[in-house]
Amino acid sequence: MTTTDRTRMPTHSPDLDGMQARFGVRVAALLGERANAAPADISERLRFAREQAVARGQAARREQKLATAAAATVVGRGPSAVLAQRPGWWVKLASAMPLAMLVCGLVVIDRLHDRAQIAATAEVDAALLSDDLPPTAYSDPGFAEFLKAQHEQQ
Amino acid sequence: MASDKELSDFLKSVEKRAFKRTAFAVRDDDAALDIVQDAMIRLAEKYIDRPPAELPLLFQRILSNATMDFFRRQKVRNAVVHNFSDFEGSDPDGEFDILEMLDSQGTNLGTESASDSVSRDQILAAIDREVGELPTRQREAFLLRYWEELDVAETASVMGCSEGSVKTHCSRAVHALAKALKAKGISL
Repeated sequence: MTTTDRTRMPTHSPDLDGMQARFGVRVAALLGERANAAPADISERLRFAREQAVARGQAARREQKLATAAAATVVGRGPSAVLAQRPGWWVKLASAMPLAMLVCGLVVIDRLHDRAQIAATAEVDAALLSDDLPPTAYSDPGFAEFLKAQHEQQ
Repeated sequence: MASDKELSDFLKSVEKRAFKRTAFAVRDDDAALDIVQDAMIRLAEKYIDRPPAELPLLFQRILSNATMDFFRRQKVRNAVVHNFSDFEGSDPDGEFDILEMLDSQGTNLGTESASDSVSRDQILAAIDREVGELPTRQREAFLLRYWEELDVAETASVMGCSEGSVKTHCSRAVHALAKALKAKGISL
């Protein structure tokens, strides 16, 4: 694109926009005049298409109404009728029960786990204290080496 | 929700413009009629619960999509690539001044100056032909803005492009039409 071409490209100044809009509307009006004088067969086919579309729209609306009515009947009469009513306090309580049971179960499991850990630690402590060997012996490097050598011999 | 009468009245008010716009795009009256009918049925079946005020924009979108679907099907069938992009030809008339042309159009608005040499039917036919020869995107933007009277944002939404692109397409379309009509000795 040359510099001359660039300077002649249309810009969006308000004056030019207004003139373009007026010209566009005028051309569109003349185009509309010609479109309105469409041949009879085209007008007829468009009328048929419009009637088909309106008929389909009516059918779609009927189906929508039937589906809504059917859904209301099922909810009103079926075993899920209770769900259509506003839930009572006992329903809310019943629905909260599984969550409460889950929380209680987690607390019990945590307690049992703590207790098992305490019991295991106590058992080790009792074994160490009741042994002839003093617990400080296990911190002696020579005794540790002795135990290791014995373990390897076995 | 639009009633049957509102839907019917709306479709009646847009059907001829919709047909013409589609015929410009597909260059085949029978295919254009099928596409318009398809768009009408889609609107009636799927958007029946929408308020009447939303119908014009919805219909234009559906019509554009239906036209695109037609080209996709045709492309698959014929294995022919239809290029929707604008191919701007080189400008053989280097001296053409859009401002001068539009300015003179502005002073002649509403007058019948062209009737001296060319009959009204010929003018309408020439305009029809020139609009049909615009590049696809320019023609779409021009028709949606000035014929369907959508605003820039609505046109951009229907065409799936930015508002700036719509302004550019419209401006180029007006420029091309003004130049072509002037070359034929037609002033509106």
